Amino acid sequence: MGDRPADRHTTSTFHGTNVSRSHGACPEPGGLAPLFCVQNLWYAYPDGIQALSGVDLDILPGDRMALVGQNGSGKTTLIKLLSGLLAPAQGTVCFKGRALTGDHLDESRLGIGVLFQDPDDQLFGHTVMDDVAFGPGNQGKSRKTAILYARQALHQVNLEHLAYKEPHNLSYGQKKRAALAGILAMQPGVLILDEPTANLDPGQEAVFLDLLKGFAGTLICISHDLIFLYELCEKAVVLHKGGIHHKYTMRELVSRRSSLRDHGLDFSFRLCTPANGVHAHEEDKKNGSETRSNEYAKILAEPSAHPSLVRLEKYRYVYPDGTPGLQDFSLDIHEGEKMAIVGENGAGKSTLLACLCGLRQGRGTLFFGGTPVTRKRYKNLWRRVGLVFQDCADQLFCASVQEEMLFGLRRLGLSSDECRHRAADTLARVGLAGFENRVPLHLSGGERKRLALGCVLAMDPDLLILDEPTAGLDPRGEELLMAILETFDKTLLLVSHDLFFIEKLTHRTLVMHQGRVIGDLPTPVFMQDDKLCNLNGLSFSYRQRTTTAIQKLQHEHEHRHPHLHIHDHPHHHGRTVHTHPHEHLHDHPHRFVHTHPGGQKNHDHANRLVHDHAHPGHDAEPHDHSHE
Amino acid sequence: MTDVHHIQVPLWYLPLLVLIPAAVAAGVVPWLGRRARTRVVPEKDPDWSIPPLADSHGQGISLIHRWDVRCKIVTMLAYSFAIASLRHLSAAAAALCVSLVVLLAAKVSFHKVLLRVFALAGFLGMLLVVMPLTVPVHPGDTILVFGSLDWLNVNLRGVVLAATIAAKAMAIALLMEPLLSTAPLPVTLHGLSRLGVPDMAGQMVLLSYRYLHVFTHEARRMTAGMQARGFEKKTNMATLRALANFLGMIFVRSFERTERVFDAMQARGYNGRFPDPGHLQIQWLDILQTGVWVAAGTALVLFDYVKV
Amino acid sequence: MHISDGVLPIAVTIGGYAVSAGIAAWSARRIHSRDLPKVAVVTSAFFVASLIHIPFGPTSAHLLLPGLAGALLGPAAFLSISLGLFLQSILFQFGGITALGANAVMMGVPAVICGWFFQYFKGRTKARQAFTGGLAGALGTFLSAVFLAGLLMTGGEDFFGVAKIALIAHVPVIVIEGVVSGFTIGFLARVKPALLQPVRSFHD
Repeated sequence: MGDRPADRHTTSTFHGTNVSRSHGACPEPGGLAPLFCVQNLWYAYPDGIQALSGVDLDILPGDRMALVGQNGSGKTTLIKLLSGLLAPAQGTVCFKGRALTGDHLDESRLGIGVLFQDPDDQLFGHTVMDDVAFGPGNQGKSRKTAILYARQALHQVNLEHLAYKEPHNLSYGQKKRAALAGILAMQPGVLILDEPTANLDPGQEAVFLDLLKGFAGTLICISHDLIFLYELCEKAVVLHKGGIHHKYTMRELVSRRSSLRDHGLDFSFRLCTPANGVHAHEEDKKNGSETRSNEYAKILAEPSAHPSLVRLEKYRYVYPDGTPGLQDFSLDIHEGEKMAIVGENGAGKSTLLACLCGLRQGRGTLFFGGTPVTRKRYKNLWRRVGLVFQDCADQLFCASVQEEMLFGLRRLGLSSDECRHRAADTLARVGLAGFENRVPLHLSGGERKRLALGCVLAMDPDLLILDEPTAGLDPRGEELLMAILETFDKTLLLVSHDLFFIEKLTHRTLVMHQGRVIGDLPTPVFMQDDKLCNLNGLSFSYRQRTTTAIQKLQHEHEHRHPHLHIHDHPHHHGRTVHTHPHEHLHDHPHRFVHTHPGGQKNHDHANRLVHDHAHPGHDAEPHDHSHE
Repeated sequence: MTDVHHIQVPLWYLPLLVLIPAAVAAGVVPWLGRRARTRVVPEKDPDWSIPPLADSHGQGISLIHRWDVRCKIVTMLAYSFAIASLRHLSAAAAALCVSLVVLLAAKVSFHKVLLRVFALAGFLGMLLVVMPLTVPVHPGDTILVFGSLDWLNVNLRGVVLAATIAAKAMAIALLMEPLLSTAPLPVTLHGLSRLGVPDMAGQMVLLSYRYLHVFTHEARRMTAGMQARGFEKKTNMATLRALANFLGMIFVRSFERTERVFDAMQARGYNGRFPDPGHLQIQWLDILQTGVWVAAGTALVLFDYVKV
Repeated sequence: MHISDGVLPIAVTIGGYAVSAGIAAWSARRIHSRDLPKVAVVTSAFFVASLIHIPFGPTSAHLLLPGLAGALLGPAAFLSISLGLFLQSILFQFGGITALGANAVMMGVPAVICGWFFQYFKGRTKARQAFTGGLAGALGTFLSAVFLAGLLMTGGEDFFGVAKIALIAHVPVIVIEGVVSGFTIGFLARVKPALLQPVRSFHD
């Protein structure tokens, strides 16, 4: 029995049914019948992808459960099966004790609310009211009653004043809330959410969190964003390659870095330098922010070494329908600067980006590299400005990665050798070497993001603009992206709600509101400024509170104590091999991740009696059971 | 009457009759089009918390707004067919005048009407140019001949024919706005379904209309994505290939979205039928209004018939 | 090119409505009725796609897409195209409301024919699918142009000249449409071949 560091623990696979017993993670209140009972569930898509293999799961009434796991681990498939949108290939999904088929399925659907990721998929009504009343109408309520319920739900999400507006006139956050209202109007007992916070600004996110916290029934939530889930959910189920790997309490999950890392969920790289929180790395952080402040000061002090790259003077942009996008906007970006732009959804950030890369043309003067950009030169801005869109799907449209890379390069007028050379170099740089013949559409979210970035980087822009680069990425994808961006040495413009990325990558922050600049200051100063951070509903405070709480849980140290092992591993019985769970007691040191309430040095680990970790060579050891 | 009249016009009439109108059209039409397309911001946002039109309960702002939607559809469609059957320019012009009056009475948005007119301009312009030159010469026709240009024979019968068609098309197009925008689209479609058109057809129109906006936004963002990497439309193979990728991507995304939308509908209890959107009621005023329209249509057709 | 109000003889417009209603009913019956919303959503994508302008020398042409619609949707293409034309008519006045039936026949029947053509000849290889797709695209536009000319000619010999010119004006569009359809089908064959299968979730 070797000393295995905790980082390797999760190589052993746990089957759901054992885990709840062994870990005591999911306490079962005596005799409460599960709401959902999933047994030995298998599902494969028509194109042959095995999405779920042998899932067992019980969900009790009133559970608040997070479903986490890497992109492609089968989370979405699982919730589709739970809501009866897919039929299991093998195994059963029971809801309230009966299998989800036939009439029971039709009936159950009216009580299971599913909130999908893209609100546009869900808002198919002509007006918000038509849409929200659709569900109650299907429940058999008369038109009048349905509208009554719809009004109530809209009131809950604070959208009553937009009841008869057409959905395409709503902002993204409003759409998301309207979609939620469509479900709340049905008064479901179960609410299933797929990435509820994707693409929301922190203000909208806080609103959404409050709404979800107020929901009384059973809640099942998919998200990569553990920092968000932390306060919302009590339980966490980790999916990996179509199987359930762990069932934890939320607190346990976030405290197990090793386990998080194995599932690409380790967001703790975010915790090393959290935004203006109180933490152990105070010293490091201070040094870090000082160097960044200095960098910025240096650029300002030496205008000759860092000439102005982009200058906007009294720039204005008005949309064709009359909405003002930018108003009297003045801005100076020096070469080599790393700048962040923050602001609520609709503050004019995207308009600014579109103007900077020549997609839109406003009034006023724009200088690029010291010379004013004329109408003609607007068309050529793309040669020097690279823009990575928020949604990769808007940027990737070729049938292979290689074609995708060459699309922009060919238009630069380079020789085909040079094109191929640059494409290969860049692909290696973004970690996609060997992907040349893959189809961009079939890549994972993180890979697609890096491909989009690669396509832009290959064109060697003087100014790189990233629009919400972390939206929809899992933490593993974020980490890889961060590594690439840290090596970028030209001018960078980052539009993001993600304070961590802003602090890591930039040294100057521009705060925008209603098409104007309302703050332009060194990033470390911005980070210290609670007031500015929380301005315009950009409440980052929730994230900070959670981050600090999680960090306390993630305290790591080495500790030795006897503990119980429960796991399954192959047993050889002559020629046949089979697996079954078994448990035994042993004693060896562990690296531990846990809290120290009140900073006390003496503490016991009684609550950590059970561990999961690998046992290489274990089947050769003596057993406490007989082999026949 | 049996001879073909040839009217010799000096050659310099040609620029006067053709080039100047063409130049004016080329200048004015795009300008007006741009103006029509630039939507004027409403002074204040309407109150979206109340339904835009309560079903025929006297809240409308004009007589046509208050008209029962079923009566409105049947009447307007029948009237449109009546106009389409006219054969004489004078009758068509009269119909156009009626439409203009209705347009003013219906108090509909002017710029939307303008957009419709511009959409017609291409087809009708083509007719106005082609028909005078290609209509076969019948006895009794009048033909303009410009100077010594023998091949350029402008048949005035063709001009009249094209103008009649243009007047009819305009007369009907001008009615479309009062017909469609005096009630919310769902109400109009509900009216259609009450008239025997399958309910699903109306729901499909609403769904298409809704996702039109979603896909337009998607297409716009994708175009921006291509432009940001230097894509420019030219007449060459590379452009066609890139546009084909673009189309392919739109289809892939739309089919994927279709599945997601369908899932979302099913998850909220959709089972092949949409909930009933309420009921409509016909009042005597509706029938009276229909009567007036039927009378107008009959009068136009009779006028057209008698004129032979 | 859509026919506007007032061009066709009244009997032809009414006949067009009758014929297209018949074919639409046939088309709807080929699909499970609860899947009709899917056709509606896909229609809006075709609608958006048909608004794309393709440069052709100094002018530009916009795609008609009957061939692609047929290849991707099969018999449902007729329903989809009718729906799209109805929307184009009521939203933009492209095509008159009285001529809607005739327009639907003009665009929808070629689409259904192209659908059969594509499924019958597409073969297995991607190159052949792309080639067949290109032919289907060209064929669709060609048939539409022929239908258009035929419909115009019902107005009597006064319209023969217009019909001839409409036919000639479609020649470049046929070529462009063929090339773009070929490339698009080629793209789909590589990226999402499932879309080119005759039996999809639509028809389950």
